[in-house]
Amino acid sequence: MRDNLYLRLIAVFAPLSLMSIGGGQSVVADIHTQSVEIQHWVTQAQFVDLFALSRAAPGPGALLTTLIGWHVAGWLGALIASIALFGPSSVLAYIATRAWHRHRDKPWYQIVQRALAPLATGLILSSAFTVLRAASGTLSLWLIAAISAVLFYRLPKLNPLPILLVAGIVQVVAQIWL
Amino acid sequence: MIASEPGTPLRSTPPTPRLTPPASVTLAQLALLFARIGLTSFGGGLSAWLYREVVDARGWLDEDEFLGALTMSQILPGSNVVNLSIYIGHKLRGGLGSLTAVLALLLPPMIVAVLLGIVFAHLSDIQWLHNFLEGLAASAIGLTASVGLRGARHSLIDGYWPLVLIVVVFVAIGVLHWPLVPVVIALAGCSLLLARRRL
Repeated sequence: MRDNLYLRLIAVFAPLSLMSIGGGQSVVADIHTQSVEIQHWVTQAQFVDLFALSRAAPGPGALLTTLIGWHVAGWLGALIASIALFGPSSVLAYIATRAWHRHRDKPWYQIVQRALAPLATGLILSSAFTVLRAASGTLSLWLIAAISAVLFYRLPKLNPLPILLVAGIVQVVAQIWL
Repeated sequence: MIASEPGTPLRSTPPTPRLTPPASVTLAQLALLFARIGLTSFGGGLSAWLYREVVDARGWLDEDEFLGALTMSQILPGSNVVNLSIYIGHKLRGGLGSLTAVLALLLPPMIVAVLLGIVFAHLSDIQWLHNFLEGLAASAIGLTASVGLRGARHSLIDGYWPLVLIVVVFVAIGVLHWPLVPVVIALAGCSLLLARRRL
């Protein structure tokens, strides 16, 4: 039955790979439906815990899939679920990158690149805003985000890690005092 | 129209000088950098970390190229940062570079995530830990926003229209939550026409 489980992990996550347009976060709702309601791999409460964990761990948020695979079928399950989720989209991205790269000397390449830059900038600001609004949204969190943004904007060479750790401590203290 | 004006400079200010010629980047350097980014990028927003390391600190890509690749990564299915790593890896070291970048980016955090899952059962009730992670995530959002602000400032060298596009994208996607793909495709059309006109 174990083999069956691995195949089911692939059958669930590989199609999601190609549906995750706009980044890993866009399929979190589908991952939830599949793993809680359809496959009954995890309960609602377990899903929330795994989601929080995937946000707390370093690395891309899409690690949620790794954790569900691990929950369902151990280390091998984690590996198989991850390959199923990252594999198909990565192959497509590689093909697109090669096609894009082949035209780098064409005159229109620069134009397309500069045309896309403002869109990327808008999307970056959107994702920052969306994630911050989705987080519990105490005033202290908005302040931490704003101050960090100014710091990182002013000091491009600054190592972000110490600032992030200080920000975590500030939030702990703020929640105790306020 | 553009091809017929070979003498026209593409921009009014000189391009950012490269700090390291990309040709000299080894696979080991690539693996180390992506593993470090994968393991230290708490709170998400990995594109912002990549931007700081690859554009600001190392100059392997210039700002326009990075942002162009990032937009492509966002339109394509899959994790944005994985797609972006495939692009950066390919640019620096070809197909092997793509593979190295993605594996170095993903494998270490995967292992850490599962290890965290194993110890999590004992920690899930600690409230201050939850607050700490929230504060850390908020600061990481600030990091992401700073890259957006940098992009907005950079776009001003082309006049005000890129700024208008940035605001339109922000309102449509960030505030109104319109579907990403149609919005980006429609605006990419407008942006292309404007970019051609500018030159």
